[in-house]
Amino acid sequence: MNYTFQWGVALQHLPGLLEGAKLTFIIGFLTFWGASLLGLVMAALKTYGGRIARRIVGAYVIFFTNTPALVQIWFLYFGLPDVGIVWDKFTCMLIGLTLNSGAYLTEIIRAGFISVRRNEIEAAETLGFSRIQQVWYVIVPHIAKTIYPALANFFIVILVMGTSIGSVIGVQELTSQAKDLATVDYRYLEVFTIAAAIYVVLTFVASITLALVGRWAFRVKAKIF
Amino acid sequence: MRGDLSHHLEIKGACASYGRIQVLKGVDLTLGKGEVVALIGPSGSGKSTVLRMVMGLTLSTAGEIRLDGEAVNYRNPASLRRLRDRIAVVFQQYNLFQNMDVMRNVTIAPLKIKRRPRDQVVADAKRVLAKVGLADKLAAYPDELSGGQQQRVAIARALCLNPEILLLDEVTSALDPELVNEVLDTIRGLAAEGMTMLIVSHEMAFVREVATRVILMDDGQMVEAGTPQDIFDKPQTQRARDFVGKILRH
Repeated sequence: MNYTFQWGVALQHLPGLLEGAKLTFIIGFLTFWGASLLGLVMAALKTYGGRIARRIVGAYVIFFTNTPALVQIWFLYFGLPDVGIVWDKFTCMLIGLTLNSGAYLTEIIRAGFISVRRNEIEAAETLGFSRIQQVWYVIVPHIAKTIYPALANFFIVILVMGTSIGSVIGVQELTSQAKDLATVDYRYLEVFTIAAAIYVVLTFVASITLALVGRWAFRVKAKIF
Repeated sequence: MRGDLSHHLEIKGACASYGRIQVLKGVDLTLGKGEVVALIGPSGSGKSTVLRMVMGLTLSTAGEIRLDGEAVNYRNPASLRRLRDRIAVVFQQYNLFQNMDVMRNVTIAPLKIKRRPRDQVVADAKRVLAKVGLADKLAAYPDELSGGQQQRVAIARALCLNPEILLLDEVTSALDPELVNEVLDTIRGLAAEGMTMLIVSHEMAFVREVATRVILMDDGQMVEAGTPQDIFDKPQTQRARDFVGKILRH
């Protein structure tokens, strides 16, 4: 191996990469909350809705989990303008990723709905809880605790895997920035090493934060180290 | 006063169905203040359904339930709330809130539903939990407790509502044999204090000891009722003789 690392050159791009990391986090964060909300509604429809509503949600989940997120985003970005719908790349990225992640989160949240214990609800009923109090004190905490690990895990998936798709339509998130900045002086190896390191730091901080929150809020016995 | 009928629960001609299967075919039962009535009988005879019906978890299809002479309207939330204010139930599977510690399980209904002052509720809860022998488990979560301990928390949770009537649905059936006695001791204590109770149980020796009256049920109907001595020593009907014969053989 006769490659000479030139970290100095690559490190000059650090501010640009960090700028990209910031956008990565923003996309990940917005997508996660949007997709969670979408998943919550879809899961509620699939669990408690009528036959037609359940079919529609089922079709949505199958369609979006069985096609690549990349194709979905390309469809929005390159396909829709042909029928007169033009969104900017950031919007396409957010909507595409949210629809895709929402399909996975529908199933995660539905698992939480299904796991609600009938007997705890009956106990609450006989203790005099109103329907709203049952939902607030018994059902929501139970669902939150049950699905928290899967949700936290999926946030990391969106943050790292999902957001990097932005690079193919030119959203200036971390991968995209790394790709562009590497071409400035062709230090691909160094620039992508730094980008990878930033991803690791991002996910590491996110994992620890989520594990601590889980431990504090839901007694989730997650091992942090 | 045992058997004082001035204050009681009355079930008249109650029927109930699960889907197309009729599980109660006309049940009559009265529970006087201070009485401990035990429902016994084979599985599927409708004993638990009687309790579920009293609490409004299963709606009756015919008949009525009266509390202090006043008919309960189970489709009226206010009427149902008044009933649940005065009657508490303990289930076979404890049904504790898994996301709350012992103290919160016991105090949440008095605090959030009855809106009683916090220090009074906490003091009450501590006293009741000490009574069931769990004074040192206030901060434990249900999954950290044994079955017997969980069932005693469930009893404490019911008692903290200061119920006038306590319904116990096979509260020892899910427990290891070694843990049964700690729960039975708790119920014995309540009986000694004069708590009015309607008990579904398979612990015949226990029923014989604490019950003031025993009712044998079979196939959604009451077969025979009487004192424990009547039922266990000189059953009148053939069905009662069969049942008692079978359970006393082992």
